[in-house]
Amino acid sequence: MTTHFITAEIDLQETPTELQEQIQNQLQEHGQPLRWAVTKIDQEKQKATIEAVVTKES
Amino acid sequence: MSPFTVVLIVPTGVGAAIGGYAGDALPVAKAIAKICDRLITHPNVLNGAQLYWPLDNTFYVEGYGLDRFAAQEWGLRPVRQNRVGLLLDRGIEPELRLRHLQAADATRATLGLNLTDYVVSDAPLEVELRASDSGASWGTIGNPGSLLRAADKLINQGGAEAIAVVARFPDDLDSLALQNYRHGEGVDHLAGAEAIISHLIVRNFQIPAAHAPALMPLPVDSEVSPRAAAEELGYTFLPCVLVGLSRAPQFMTNFQSRDHNHNSIWAESVDAVIVPYSACGGSAIMSFSNSSAQIIAVEANSTQMQVPPEPLGIKVTKVKNYLEALGVLVAHRAGIDFRVLNPSLSSLRCLS
Repeated sequence: MTTHFITAEIDLQETPTELQEQIQNQLQEHGQPLRWAVTKIDQEKQKATIEAVVTKES
Repeated sequence: MSPFTVVLIVPTGVGAAIGGYAGDALPVAKAIAKICDRLITHPNVLNGAQLYWPLDNTFYVEGYGLDRFAAQEWGLRPVRQNRVGLLLDRGIEPELRLRHLQAADATRATLGLNLTDYVVSDAPLEVELRASDSGASWGTIGNPGSLLRAADKLINQGGAEAIAVVARFPDDLDSLALQNYRHGEGVDHLAGAEAIISHLIVRNFQIPAAHAPALMPLPVDSEVSPRAAAEELGYTFLPCVLVGLSRAPQFMTNFQSRDHNHNSIWAESVDAVIVPYSACGGSAIMSFSNSSAQIIAVEANSTQMQVPPEPLGIKVTKVKNYLEALGVLVAHRAGIDFRVLNPSLSSLRCLS
């Protein structure tokens, strides 16, 4: 197993539940999400920046 | 009536003005614990290195478990005492290792904690620290497999019911980040990596875990902030972790089992959640926003984040500080709409 720090940008959603689902789906593309947070919001572009650590089986 | 249950969150490694240093949100937790029946919070709030304050109605829940709890996937089962297993990083020097073993023995002799025999990881864990663009601290672990093998041994050979990890962290004596932290400014640059270590264990084994870093003692500094001073007292930050884990609730990962344990706690019984206003981007707050819990966002606890609740669609009660948050909680518990406690009160309007 290895641990990796990643950042991702995602569109803001109508509800927090939808946003959470989108975040999980996007992080899954990089590995198994271990810890994440929205760390920045750009309201003009309606984007959220996600920082996360994911794990991958080596 | 169900017990009045509050969750207090101060995210780890984001430079929270209160709770971003050495257990300096503990007074907030103590005050909240006095006016609720059950307080659920996490190690970053309750850990003050060699300082701690066990509270009978307060539950020490590691962040990964707290996220699962908030998502209504896991429940909490209160315990009288856990057998705590101590996991030491092979990268810790012999003398520093001995200091930690003596601290662990002290908690047995002086506090009556129940510890299993300890395990040393089969390879150095190789913690790497990282500061992100947002200003948050993060980190990665070079040998997560070694960490998990050691935890497995503690659980399956030693009978551990909770895991305390001590990993060797880079000393980084000359760094500006460390100097700022000791002076009560900026971000705890260790905290993000600490969270990764405990998250790995909780995700894999579904038992309580927490972490204390092993570092060489720092040279004395007359400018150390009171908020960071708890970490200047000795050779180890381990005592608070062992105390917290000794009574940390166990996780219930099977939703069906709740019917057989009437003392278990599930997210739907949470009445209120308190969080810094600028740091609402965590998984737990997003999950709670989908529940009936009142989310109280505290403006005065500033962080490096700029993630207020509104753009995320999270409805909150915004308050200036923790004193005001306590007032909102008391009103909530008493069944009083806190808004009527203000002098101006508008008349009811007809819904269109």
